[in-house]
Amino acid sequence: MEIEIISFGQITEFINNQKIEVDGIADTDAFKQYLEDRFPALKGIKYKLALNKNIVQQNTEILNQATIAIMPPFSGG
Amino acid sequence: MSAERYNRQIILKGFGEEAQQKLLRAKVLVIGAGGLGCPALQYLAAAGIGHIGIVDDDTISLSNLHRQVLFTTADIGKLKVEIAAKRLQEMNTQIGIIRHPIRLQKNNILDILSRYDYILDGTDNFESRYLINDACALLNKPLIFAAVSGFEGQLAIFNAPDHLTPSTNYRDIFPIPPDKGEVANCAENGILGVLPGILGTMAAAETIKLIAKIGQPLINKILNYNLLTQEQYTINISHGGGYILPKTVDDFLNMDYQDTSEGPQGYIEIDASELVKLQQLESTILIDVRERHEVPILDKQIFTQVPMSEFGAFMSKEFYQKHVVLICQHGIRSVAAAEAMQEKYGDAKKIYSLKGGIVKWRDHFLKS
Repeated sequence: MEIEIISFGQITEFINNQKIEVDGIADTDAFKQYLEDRFPALKGIKYKLALNKNIVQQNTEILNQATIAIMPPFSGG
Repeated sequence: MSAERYNRQIILKGFGEEAQQKLLRAKVLVIGAGGLGCPALQYLAAAGIGHIGIVDDDTISLSNLHRQVLFTTADIGKLKVEIAAKRLQEMNTQIGIIRHPIRLQKNNILDILSRYDYILDGTDNFESRYLINDACALLNKPLIFAAVSGFEGQLAIFNAPDHLTPSTNYRDIFPIPPDKGEVANCAENGILGVLPGILGTMAAAETIKLIAKIGQPLINKILNYNLLTQEQYTINISHGGGYILPKTVDDFLNMDYQDTSEGPQGYIEIDASELVKLQQLESTILIDVRERHEVPILDKQIFTQVPMSEFGAFMSKEFYQKHVVLICQHGIRSVAAAEAMQEKYGDAKKIYSLKGGIVKWRDHFLKS
């Protein structure tokens, strides 16, 4: 299945916006695990996922052609 | 009396005299008169927000001027709130501007926020942002949040319910603050001046929409803005849970916001961004208290080397600088040096110790 990844802030330094073709990722928990395995730098920082523009607050099923955004906190002013 | 000044927005379809009256009756507090706060303040004042409070305890420095557009070169060294209030009052003589030349902390924030209807957060650090978020949630004050990083910005409105979702707050997105140093700030990372200009202006627009009840303000949404691509990506926020939000004043006062404010010890522990600010003051001496053999070796033009083994001799001499920043490898010996200095100088000098030391802020020292 196809998932589009959109990243923001410092996360763009190691995860580009991209479409990935993966199998066996059924939900957002599995996707999070996949991301942290593939991009270990993510483990050390705070971030939030949004599935199809909705903040992920609990494990949620991912369907084909989903868009998942990875957002870190900003503090600058 | 004010019809002519605000004529161009009053004649706007969907705005009108009624919306203008709402602005004139509104009380808005802008926290931080920096890159975000300056443009936000300019448009809020020009639009006729009747009462505007400004919170900032900082003075203007040369490196502020590329983005903090209320200030001029002649203003360097002066208090931001004073200059900002003066300029805004000159621009709009019909509104009230209230100066708060303080740093918000647990013990003063509730009192100040309770005097206003809307809060705009234009601060530059996570401690302040979580403090403000929690205080706004406790007092049920709508919070307009803007922040920048690199070439990107975030904009949201918290603590304002819409017809679909009860109000959300910043902790629904990020339940706990990042560790210090986990996210680089503007002083470490750099910032193009126009970016906070855009985000600050957008924050003013959201504030005006919220007060005038027009359009669809970013309630329960967070907008991500990218300056390089001019793309915006808006995410819907829902309740997260699993975090601690103080429900009473007592709970609030017991929270730990890692204030870098002055503790009972007298000296102040600072991070790298505060070090950068202090570094720009002429009255600052930066002292490296490590022994001469320790690495990395710092630039001796910038850092005066006074090893702990020679510290007593140094203390017996007089020096003119008012701000003294002590630095060591891990921020432990520098605390001991700060204690000794504090004991000798008391209030005569301001003493700082770099928390975490050179190891914690390695990138900062390798750059400089």
